[in-house]
Amino acid sequence: MNKDAQLRHSINQKLIENGERDRLKELLRTKLIECGWKDQMKAHCKEIIRQKGLDHVTIEELVTEITPRGRALVPDSVKKELLQRIRTFLGKNSII
Amino acid sequence: MSSAGCVHLSSLKQEAHWKQSVRLIHQWFVCCGSLEARKRKARSCVCHLCGAHFNRLHSCLSCVFFGCFGRRHIHEHAKTKRHPLAIDLYHGTIYCFQCQDYVYDRDCELIAREEQRKAWRLQGAAGWYTNWEPTRRELELLRQNPKRRKIAPNSTIGLRGLVNLGNTCFMNCIVQALTHTPLLRDFFLSDRHRCAMESPDSCLVCEMSRLFQEFYSGFRSPHIPYRLLHLVWTHARHLAGYEQQDAHEFLIAGETRDDNGKKGTHPNHCNCIIDQIFTGGLQSDVTCQVCNGVSTTIDPFWDISLDLPGSSSSFWPLSPNSEGGGITNGEKHAPTGTVPLTSPTSLTDCLRRFTRPEHLGSSAKIKCSGCHSYQESTKQLTMKKLPIVACFHLKRFEHSAKLRRKITTYVSFPLDLDMTPFMASSKESRMNGQYQQGDSLNSENKYSLFAVVNHQGTLESGHYTSFIRQHKDQWFKCDDAIITHASVRDVLDSEGYILLCPLSCARFVFECRG
Repeated sequence: MNKDAQLRHSINQKLIENGERDRLKELLRTKLIECGWKDQMKAHCKEIIRQKGLDHVTIEELVTEITPRGRALVPDSVKKELLQRIRTFLGKNSII
Repeated sequence: MSSAGCVHLSSLKQEAHWKQSVRLIHQWFVCCGSLEARKRKARSCVCHLCGAHFNRLHSCLSCVFFGCFGRRHIHEHAKTKRHPLAIDLYHGTIYCFQCQDYVYDRDCELIAREEQRKAWRLQGAAGWYTNWEPTRRELELLRQNPKRRKIAPNSTIGLRGLVNLGNTCFMNCIVQALTHTPLLRDFFLSDRHRCAMESPDSCLVCEMSRLFQEFYSGFRSPHIPYRLLHLVWTHARHLAGYEQQDAHEFLIAGETRDDNGKKGTHPNHCNCIIDQIFTGGLQSDVTCQVCNGVSTTIDPFWDISLDLPGSSSSFWPLSPNSEGGGITNGEKHAPTGTVPLTSPTSLTDCLRRFTRPEHLGSSAKIKCSGCHSYQESTKQLTMKKLPIVACFHLKRFEHSAKLRRKITTYVSFPLDLDMTPFMASSKESRMNGQYQQGDSLNSENKYSLFAVVNHQGTLESGHYTSFIRQHKDQWFKCDDAIITHASVRDVLDSEGYILLCPLSCARFVFECRG
């Protein structure tokens, strides 16, 4: 494992141990619902399923198809807020 | 997935201990309540083939194996070992590699939900935030009544005037504010109130529930709240009659003596929804001036009553070198009695005053538990626990021995308010020298304004109206039976009397299923 991956790994461990990861997940979920991201994605999924027909679409195909759009549609403010939360968390909890 | 379900899961469910293993995976790797479980999850949740902790990790249901979905390592395992089922470790859903789809199984979903609830309880989060799931009876009702109403950004559903029944604007303005409290709305519209009273006819919360039905029924004609008024009169006798009443008193009456008569027997342990969302904890530290010993008490509160500049109370204004002054954002305060015209008093100023140390004076000596004698002391209030919905009450009506009057000083208030500086925890870290200016992006202690109650007129005769926020940022003015659009400026420039703000991070999102 290179240094970068190692650091990611230990940050992730710390976040899980403290329960912060679950809190971040809840925060993200709330933010994405609030800003309408969830509704947009739901509409997008419905559209794809309607085009292909319910019996001709698998979850894997659906995930591959919507992922790029899903990532692009997350507002910058939401990304910033989460990044800030993680930064604050790391400031309070020394890693390594 | 076919409607018949997954045959592979069905055959797994024939095994003796399948429930136990699903439950264990949930407890230890999906939603961990205990620290021990989280530590284990942090250590062992990696792909057994590539070591990654991301890429949608799944756990095999037949043996101990974690693999990532993104690089198809769990697929590989499923194929070589012929273990067709795996649990997604992020969401707890079960995937079948034979059917190539997630499986929705009633038993598994129940286990997942139970474990999720347990974990939340262990972590101290309230379980009543969960999404609404229709029961069998509700599904039946939905089938029988196929007409649906959808909420569009410009719809005015939920806005309804209230007829004034003779000086009842004190009630109307509060009812408007309460019926637009997002958490209360979600609570009552999802039919969560279970009345424990012998005669539901005299239950105020049942009446609230009916009011919500009226408000969101789609009718546009003003509602006549005679039932509510009658209940209020029988519950809170001091508000009965056709004289003018105080809106704040009504709110308190509604908050503290509502359902089930529980309040009478256990004054601090009422579990009704109103109590759950409005109750906070106020910490009071009394410091002895001789031995510096601190005695701390924590009391519940339902609103924060703030003194205003111009009141005859002797503690206004702030002296700049008091401890509370250290938390200003570089704002200047005139040390003399006058507040400069350029910067009107803000809600933050009032809060700062509320939470600064106050000398109790030589006439109010308190017995110190440290030095066992009656000594002069200082008292400081801080927020120990923030309520989910904060109610700020600006003391505009002064009733002292000398005079009775209304204080009309303008107090500016923000749309978003950060309570971090007024928390007991902030005070502690300030005293240890650790306090830093809170970063503006941290939303844990942030409130956002959603209702303002105003009073026009004088102490003797006046009128109450309220501003309420609908959707995300639309404001409406409710003046008894008349509801009009208002701008944010109208709201912020108004002479606020009661301000209601929910925590912005409280999960009040109401899921509309379409």
